[in-house]
Amino acid sequence: MADPLPTFSESWYRLADQRISLRPGVKIGRQFFRGELWHVLEDPFNNQFFRLQPAAYAFVGRLKPDRTVQQVWQECLDKDPNQAPGQEEVLRLISQLYYANLLQYESPADAAQLFERQKRRRDRETRSRWLNIMFLRIPLFDPDEWINKVLPFTRFLMGWFGALIWLGVVGWGAKVAIDNFQSLREQSQSILAPDNIILLYLGLVLVKTCHEFGHAFMCKKYGGEVHVIGVMMLIFTPTPYMDATSSWGFRNRWHRVLVGAAGMIVELFFAAIAVFIWANTGPGTLHNLCYNMIFVASVSTMLFNGNPLLRYDGYYILSDLLGIPNLYQRATQQLKFWMDRYLFSIKKAESPARTLREGFWLSVYGVLSWIYRLIVFGGILLFVADRFLLIGIIMAVACLVSWVVVPVGKFVHYLATSPELERNRPQAVAVSLAVVGGIFSFLWLVPMPSHFRAPGIVEAREKAEVLSEASGIVDQVFAAPGTWVTNRQPLLRLRNEELQINLRAAAARLEEVQSSWRRALQTNVANLKPLEKRLDSTRQQIRRLEMENDALLLIAPQDGYWAAPEIKDFVGRWMHRGSNLGLVAQTQAYYFTATVAQDDVNLLFASQLRGATIRLRGQAGLELPAGELKIIPAAQNTLPSPALGWRSGGEVPTKMTDPEGRQAAEPFFEVKALLPSHAEAAFRHGRSGKIRFNLDPEPLLKQWLRRLRQLLQKRYQL
Amino acid sequence: MITPVQDYRRTDHNTPGKPLNGLDALVNEWVGIYKRRQGILRAVLRQAEQIDALAPQWKNVSDHVLQEKLESFRVAFRRDPEHPDLPLNEALAAVREAADRQVGLRPFVVQLAGALVLHRGWLAEMATGEGKTLTAGLAAVLAGWTSRPCHIITANDYLVQRDAEWLRPLYRFCGLKVGHVASAMNPTDRRAGYAADITYTTSKEIVADFLRDRLFLGPWLHPTRRLIHTLRRPAFGLRTSLVLRGLHTAIVDEADSLLIDEAVTPLIISTPHKNDILREAVKIAQEIARPLESGVDYTTNLRHKEVELTPTGRAKILEQSETLPRLFRSLGRRLELAKQALTAREFFLKGRQYIVLDGKVVIVDEFTGRLMQQRSWRAGLHQAVEAKEGLEVTDPTETMARLSFQRFFRLFYKMAGMTGTAREAASEFWQVYKLPVISIPTNKPCIRQESADRVFLTAEAKWQAILEDIQKTHASGRPILVGTRSVAASEQLAERLAAAGLQYHLLNATRHKEEAQIVAEAGVVGQITIATNMAGRGTDIRLGQGVAEHGGLHVIATERHESKRIDRQLFGRAARQGDPGSALAYISADDELLHRFLPKAILDRLRDTIRAGLPAAHKLASAAVAMAQKRAEKQAFHQRRAVLRMDTWLEEALSFASSRET
Repeated sequence: MADPLPTFSESWYRLADQRISLRPGVKIGRQFFRGELWHVLEDPFNNQFFRLQPAAYAFVGRLKPDRTVQQVWQECLDKDPNQAPGQEEVLRLISQLYYANLLQYESPADAAQLFERQKRRRDRETRSRWLNIMFLRIPLFDPDEWINKVLPFTRFLMGWFGALIWLGVVGWGAKVAIDNFQSLREQSQSILAPDNIILLYLGLVLVKTCHEFGHAFMCKKYGGEVHVIGVMMLIFTPTPYMDATSSWGFRNRWHRVLVGAAGMIVELFFAAIAVFIWANTGPGTLHNLCYNMIFVASVSTMLFNGNPLLRYDGYYILSDLLGIPNLYQRATQQLKFWMDRYLFSIKKAESPARTLREGFWLSVYGVLSWIYRLIVFGGILLFVADRFLLIGIIMAVACLVSWVVVPVGKFVHYLATSPELERNRPQAVAVSLAVVGGIFSFLWLVPMPSHFRAPGIVEAREKAEVLSEASGIVDQVFAAPGTWVTNRQPLLRLRNEELQINLRAAAARLEEVQSSWRRALQTNVANLKPLEKRLDSTRQQIRRLEMENDALLLIAPQDGYWAAPEIKDFVGRWMHRGSNLGLVAQTQAYYFTATVAQDDVNLLFASQLRGATIRLRGQAGLELPAGELKIIPAAQNTLPSPALGWRSGGEVPTKMTDPEGRQAAEPFFEVKALLPSHAEAAFRHGRSGKIRFNLDPEPLLKQWLRRLRQLLQKRYQL
Repeated sequence: MITPVQDYRRTDHNTPGKPLNGLDALVNEWVGIYKRRQGILRAVLRQAEQIDALAPQWKNVSDHVLQEKLESFRVAFRRDPEHPDLPLNEALAAVREAADRQVGLRPFVVQLAGALVLHRGWLAEMATGEGKTLTAGLAAVLAGWTSRPCHIITANDYLVQRDAEWLRPLYRFCGLKVGHVASAMNPTDRRAGYAADITYTTSKEIVADFLRDRLFLGPWLHPTRRLIHTLRRPAFGLRTSLVLRGLHTAIVDEADSLLIDEAVTPLIISTPHKNDILREAVKIAQEIARPLESGVDYTTNLRHKEVELTPTGRAKILEQSETLPRLFRSLGRRLELAKQALTAREFFLKGRQYIVLDGKVVIVDEFTGRLMQQRSWRAGLHQAVEAKEGLEVTDPTETMARLSFQRFFRLFYKMAGMTGTAREAASEFWQVYKLPVISIPTNKPCIRQESADRVFLTAEAKWQAILEDIQKTHASGRPILVGTRSVAASEQLAERLAAAGLQYHLLNATRHKEEAQIVAEAGVVGQITIATNMAGRGTDIRLGQGVAEHGGLHVIATERHESKRIDRQLFGRAARQGDPGSALAYISADDELLHRFLPKAILDRLRDTIRAGLPAAHKLASAAVAMAQKRAEKQAFHQRRAVLRMDTWLEEALSFASSRET
């Protein structure tokens, strides 16, 4: 436990005879947090809040313009000597109130001091504005009057009636959305396509405007005030925002929760309506706009607004539900406490949590929110950088400053000058250096397993493709795909009506020619020669047609497994001559053909390779050692199978222009690895999987630097 | 008749900047190092030589012409003190000539250099006996000519009067009035003293007068407000009741003692305030704390002077504190009281931090060794010490106004300082007061023999060796000055000397009345003087007849002080103005300095080395002392800086209630 502040203060004389009181306009409210009573002072002019514990309030509440501080203090002591604050505490309390502009005092204040303070506050605001450049807020005007006028007309919506409508609409909307989930998902593929960006932004603005008005109206409903409406440059994207912070002063925490949730409530409502429209219209601008609204309302709510790990609506709701105001700050303080107490051994470090349990949850929250922020903002950064190089670089610099330079600077400053560390500074510095040095040397020196993966497919070494030698409709499949077939075993039959007709026509023609020939034998011998020629040619035609007819029955070219993954789709379909219908592959020997990106392939050439393992899709639990590796030393563009490409759900980027999806967007190298025979592994030709190349162990930092370099190279051709 | 401008100036003072933090402080530190670089000293000395070269011009001028010339300088200085073409060199040369004729002492070149340094508002480090008083006089003439208030702050009332009288002819000759303010004066005399062009006073007097003026002004501190009020009600008699006429230039003697050692001890104007509850509570707390044992119920932190309660101690206190007055029954306050009682017991020792005089606790300044009458520790602590001594517990005093020297001296527009020892604290002088330290060389080379520290394992062995040293040196007839750190130590040594049959003079806080006489005789053949740190400041120890031939004064430091400056100050008593003399220090591993500020591991290693009698013991010991002093000085500096920051913060946070103070 930390020492309490001394009962007597040497500076008390400065206050003792002062007549101070709270400023007349200050509103005082009572709030309960985790069952504890707090008094909340609200400055009506700037919507700022100040929380007091009962003991402190007992003092502040007694301050009157006609009594001196000394008298009030004495009175507090007489009333409740146990709880009454000491002089030092009073001194701090009063100074805090003074900084919060909540005091009225007898003597005129030092004007220069006030200006100085204002200047400093402005400086601070400007600084924090630039530090939060991703969330730059530009206030525009005061909507309070207007909302006051409109409020009566919307009141019926904010009650049981509204709740029922909402439930109905949102429930129905959810049902429709679930029914159409498949197409909802499919359409999301192209949400960031360039031609959709404008609609997406429009959807965003529409949804967010509704969202903000939700907050505003709900806040007004419970007696709050909304004085600022403006534009927030959310990652350089103008979006609307409103200031509903006056709700923090609400006494009932459910009201606070409601104001916090109002934005999402409204958003969901409009999203539900958008679902109806979307589901009932064909592709078109309205359809797409509605789709974008649905997307914004659902995804952004999950990732940002509704998520308590970021400081948006969900955070404030959670913090009200838990009854822990300033959850984030306190979580950070809690983490700092752990550091101070256990790393720097500051015995006097004070935990912001009152119970161990609270401390635990604060820590968990703190860590989770840090990780989440890192992931989300990192993702945003990469995403934006991916699309807009210049903005990406500006953002990266801004992020670097606000998330790395400033915190590190603050930490160093804390280490160097914090009075709390006065006695443990050497230890604190040593521990910090040790931790940083430890992490750094671990990353820099300790070799860690290094590897990379590449997608690929299984290919049989001795395989014979089954090609249709005649065109026809796939009629009948004799051998089930996947079964063992012997050489010349019939596999399937094609049907070709035209061929039959042609055959019959040819036979008829032959008959005709034969009878002509016989007649000529009697009547006109001179005609025999040409007729014989015609006979020959007709016979030949018949032979060809018959061969073609025979070819309609496809037989196994060799012993092996009959692999025809798509054969079911082929039944009833017209196959041109030369179409690939499948293949017959021998099982003894399979290759795994991997496509290795250019960036990685030099690692294989540099003989750092320590072997490779392969996992097949559908049998990911089974790790197969790869046999001999053969790198085909030439860049290629055509994928061994379309299954690897983006178009078919693979991971290799393919060219947009290629309908088949076999042309990789960037050249790659083929690596063939011999697959060993394995009792459990079911090799099938065409089965996809991943190969993992194990490289010589290498320190993590080197690995990461390489990745970064690759990323930059790939993204920006730097 | 006081013009509005004069009235404005009465409360006008500099507004000091905020203490810097972080990188700003670091950059500022570099600036400070640049500002006190060697080149500055060379330039100053060169200029002093140039002034010296002007001497023949003035040598044969008649008094009348010289005075006329001085008058013309005065006009020039008054018109525009900042003018780049001011005839500074000529003026100083003329003043020097005037000093020669009026006071009978011709300032040396180094004194001219010192005057230049002071004139620029820097801090001149000049060794003891180099004539700081005259140096300050030269600079004061220049400052006085500008007709802005110039205060010369000296160590005590005696010096105030002596210096003012001694230099009066010089000032008069230069067309300046000199005044002085001492403790026993009434407001009218004070006002007259401050009204002069140049005022000699002590720090206590000027700060007290400043605070009294503030208290008196109350809400009319602001000149504009005051002016409007006076215009409205001409009978308003504020102006004539004020004592000071504003703050502009200060020349501070013994600057390190005042600006560093005493910097945070505030001057307080207070009245006793009846507080029976506190008195009773303190007495009970004393009873509660009595049975508690160190190590069992509480642990002590010597370095930071703090008591930490153990769970058993806590439990014991909680058990027994039911009898406390209501106000003190809350958990926090019970523990606070008990801790205070323990702090009083563990860290406030009779003969070190205080002495008991006429049934009262009187604080002894740990740096100067002087008594600080009228001072008390913070409310509760002072009472706890009284309760511990079994004295009558007094009421705590209620502060009406307080101001630390540190903050007061930052209010001058132009401050200059002089001292014998400043180098060690140069960085602090710069950071807090914006004073670059310039070390002026001595007029004659110093021939003091400083021996290496002598190191002992135990305090007993050390005292024995000191006794032997005294006996041996005494036999040769040389006078000896022995410096001790505390009153208790000085008395202990006195007993030993008495037992050995030696005659001695004891100078410590309890015998402060005989100070001047004892110091005056300290240089006489065969004299043994034991003194706490107080023997250092202000007055010289002049050597008696025939002492120089025997080797001059021998100074023994019985312990190293927390600050190296104080050590140097003591050593500086010997071999002044080119006289012979010697000095050495005795150290033992038991010394408080080493205990408080060295890690245990190093101290143990030091003990082992001494015990083994290794030759490295000396080196190790001096390294250990240097380290301990460095750590102590750093800690002290951090404390002072924290006080300054706290004060600045308080100033701002309570600015609505700031009419009482600056």
